[in-house]
Amino acid sequence: MDWTPDILAELRALLGDDGVLDSGAARFAYEADALTLERGLPDVVVLPRSTDEVAALVRWAHASGVPVTPRGAGTGLAGGATPHRGGMLLVTSRMDQVLALDPERMFAWVQPGLVNARLSELAAPHGLHFAPDPSSQPVSTIGGNVAANAGGPHCLKHGVTANHVLGLVVVLHDGSVVTLGGEAPDAPDAELASVLAGSEGTLGILCEICVRLVPRPEAVHTMSVDFARIEDACRAVSAVIAAGIVPAAMELMDRRTMELVEAWLHLGLPLDAAAALIVEVDGPAVSLPAQVERITAITREHGARSVRVASDAAERAALWRGRKSSFGAYGRTGLAFTQMDGTVPRSRLAEVVSAVYALAEARGLAAGTLMHAGDGNLHPHILFDPDDEEQHRAALEVSQEILRVCIRLGGTISGEHGIGLEKIPMMGEIYAPADLETMSRLRRAFDPGGLLNPGKILPGGPPPTHARAAAQPGNTDARNDPEGPWK
Amino acid sequence: MSPEPAPPEPARYAIAGVEPSSVRRPATREEVAGILRDAARDGLTVVPWGGGVSLARGRAPRRYGLALDLTALDRVVEYSPEDMTVTAECGVTLGALREALAAHGQETALEGARAERATLGGLLAANASGPRRLRFGAPRDRILGAHFALADGTLARSGGRVVKNVAGYAIHRLLCGSRGGLGVLLEVSLKLAPAPARRVALLFGTGARALGDATRWAALPRLEPALLTIVGQGLAGTLPVASPTDPFTVIVGLEDDEPRVDQQISALERLLGEPDARLEDDSATALWQALADLEDRDGARLTFTSPANTPAALAPLIERPGVSAGALFHAAAGRLHIFPGATAARDLIEPLATGGFRLIEAVAGDGDPAGVASLGPLIAPQAAVLDLRARIRAALDPAGVMAYGPRWQRDDLPEGAPRACRT
Ligand SMILES: Cc1cc2nc3c(=O)[nH]c(=O)nc-3n(C[C@H](O)[C@H](O)[C@H](O)COP(=O)(O)OP(=O)(O)OC[C@H]3O[C@@H](n4cnc5c(N)ncnc54)[C@H](O)[C@@H]3O)c2cc1C
Repeated sequence: MDWTPDILAELRALLGDDGVLDSGAARFAYEADALTLERGLPDVVVLPRSTDEVAALVRWAHASGVPVTPRGAGTGLAGGATPHRGGMLLVTSRMDQVLALDPERMFAWVQPGLVNARLSELAAPHGLHFAPDPSSQPVSTIGGNVAANAGGPHCLKHGVTANHVLGLVVVLHDGSVVTLGGEAPDAPDAELASVLAGSEGTLGILCEICVRLVPRPEAVHTMSVDFARIEDACRAVSAVIAAGIVPAAMELMDRRTMELVEAWLHLGLPLDAAAALIVEVDGPAVSLPAQVERITAITREHGARSVRVASDAAERAALWRGRKSSFGAYGRTGLAFTQMDGTVPRSRLAEVVSAVYALAEARGLAAGTLMHAGDGNLHPHILFDPDDEEQHRAALEVSQEILRVCIRLGGTISGEHGIGLEKIPMMGEIYAPADLETMSRLRRAFDPGGLLNPGKILPGGPPPTHARAAAQPGNTDARNDPEGPWK
Repeated sequence: MSPEPAPPEPARYAIAGVEPSSVRRPATREEVAGILRDAARDGLTVVPWGGGVSLARGRAPRRYGLALDLTALDRVVEYSPEDMTVTAECGVTLGALREALAAHGQETALEGARAERATLGGLLAANASGPRRLRFGAPRDRILGAHFALADGTLARSGGRVVKNVAGYAIHRLLCGSRGGLGVLLEVSLKLAPAPARRVALLFGTGARALGDATRWAALPRLEPALLTIVGQGLAGTLPVASPTDPFTVIVGLEDDEPRVDQQISALERLLGEPDARLEDDSATALWQALADLEDRDGARLTFTSPANTPAALAPLIERPGVSAGALFHAAAGRLHIFPGATAARDLIEPLATGGFRLIEAVAGDGDPAGVASLGPLIAPQAAVLDLRARIRAALDPAGVMAYGPRWQRDDLPEGAPRACRT
């Protein structure tokens, strides 16, 4: 594609001058999402404001054979928003309006660039909120959340993003605009919308999203429970579920994670414990004391050293601040690390955790992990020195081994971050060729020309720059700023 | 259960009077694949069969070669209560599955008519959505992964057994509601829920005026009942409760721990007065099933979807006593069924459309006294969606072997009132 001045002028006529970025610096700023080892310069960055503008852009790209990669806030951790085949990067940050909010019938239509936390803020005066709460919620967008089918601590009780999507207005590969589903629960074509959830921008561009809003819980209790052995903490999680209790969240940090967070934020975390669980219950005030009591008993039976219930909002906020800063705490070590997103059946968490430490230790590497434990979703980090190629390779191998353990235990290679570019090499290990071929047939049905976010999710394209990627040391993005949005 | 030695009678598999030319009842996935390959080779079209609950009221397929009875694939493959997930073959009945889960105090939270006969696969393929939908979601919210067969006999899988999984495309969600039009569901994994400590149904007899009074019901959705269902007098007589004297019965289902349910009951009594009847635990469960069974009544049925979530949404119907008698509205699930008897279906659709109800399914019933057949398209299809569906269908079933699944057959497409995107 030759980006002649005429073409750029045409795009500017559509989007306004500040809607088209083609300077080297601007393109450079958008060359990666939060997985910074995978990079690819977009030819041009476009910032549409409306569904019609997106349709016009995609129609044009379709006619011109230009790849289109959608991007929300770019906090994705799998390289999903990296334009590694060049072309047009379609950024939704100017599509950030709430189009309708119906407090009685409890739904909202929003544009995809609306920031997750902003929707809950706007719904709060009506006693409602948007339940999916990825730790990135202060900056990540609803469009990105839907496209990634994001999870979050509270998805244990409230379900992942896909469970909160009622309808979508989507721009298809050729620029046509369709409505799939809608505010009524069984609106036509809702099953098509449900496939767009988690499709990482490869099946269509989400332009308007109808989400379910749910009542804010009347009361919340947050407990911090620590353990001398991490396996005990894992078994306690499984036992709580087996007892028929579904807390709002059950999150785990291991000792290394706590050390890193503590060195940064000085929250008074129990550094002598092998692991700490944050267990939160929410709902009607009358229900919660009994739940807290039962969870206390169960975790004690499983070897909890201490159980503390946060006494006020400030203490609760401190607990969550520690947990939600965990990612960032790794980022500011200056060390490089790989980071995984495997899921196992919750009853197998203890096994997989033992395997994480054993595999890392066998290669002389340090490992630390945080988990959405209630969902069996774990984020092990393997630390390495980026200047040591041998270590880097070992870390990548250990990471793949860990994901293989997840697969063997009946789990998966990604619980919430997506496949993007990063995990393509593992797709062939979890799926048989016939499964992948079926998925690729479906994808071609949505995108016959192969121009929507090409090269993501399915194997077959040119290999990503690195077989597996690791976060860059010394990142200067928001994750490393203690006063940044991740607190 | 082992496969029957002699294939069952084709007459048992008639759809709207049309019989298949043959019937097969495989016992393994591989047999299913083989049968599909043979069918493709012989140019036979295929309709997958579960318990036949939904098919029995379906429209005749244009060509109907083979009925593929899946009821012999009925194993619960893996059930781990401490993971709160189950994996089962799709021919297992809802009843048998419920029993296995109840032993550990868990449930699928999915409802369908005729639980003793309806299969898991049929329930998902029909996107059966029970009265407790608001709290627990639709089938596509509960399904975690599936093994399925494509029309050419390819065995494939998407998703998995764990509760969080974003690896690859969620074809298993696409198959929910596909009515066998894209492939054959063989084995699925589901997210389960703990059975509540207490289950209560409160029944309130309600006159027409009170039903239409929006302020009376406004606070109900925020009380988060497990179900909120309005039953017209003509239907309520079949429920396991005393015959109502009021034109409508409003049923509020509460499922929670003891203190919360007590609190909800007091709140409801403040809002609505003393209930006319109250059912507890097993009796309440039986009522939920009776409500699901109501959908399988003989005769014409019109099914609508709506974002409305309180009884007052029925106001446009109240003026038509004959019709409102045959209304079943799962307000917490946005689903309204009307059994119009001989009332012209056409006359109902317009007033309900103004009230935000969209017709999504219409069953004619014997002799079609309501004139369902003459309704025309229910859902004015969007051209680009039709094209997309045709491409998906061509990708997954290029030879057009799967003979059912209305939304996947171009010449058999539904139908409808003009669609509105946003209200
Ligand atoms: C510190 C940190 C914490 C995180 N915590 C969590 C967590 O708890 N849970 C979790 O699930 N994730 C988490 N993530 C990952 C990330 O935040 C989520 O995947 C989020 O949903 C991405 O949103 P985004 O707006 O940044 O999307 P982007 O990163 O911009 O894009 C994500 C994917 O969606 C596609 N996309 C974006 N917008 C559209 C659109 N409008 N139409 C079609 N496709 C689109 C992109 O092409 C890409 O494939 C975290 C990330 C960071 C950096």
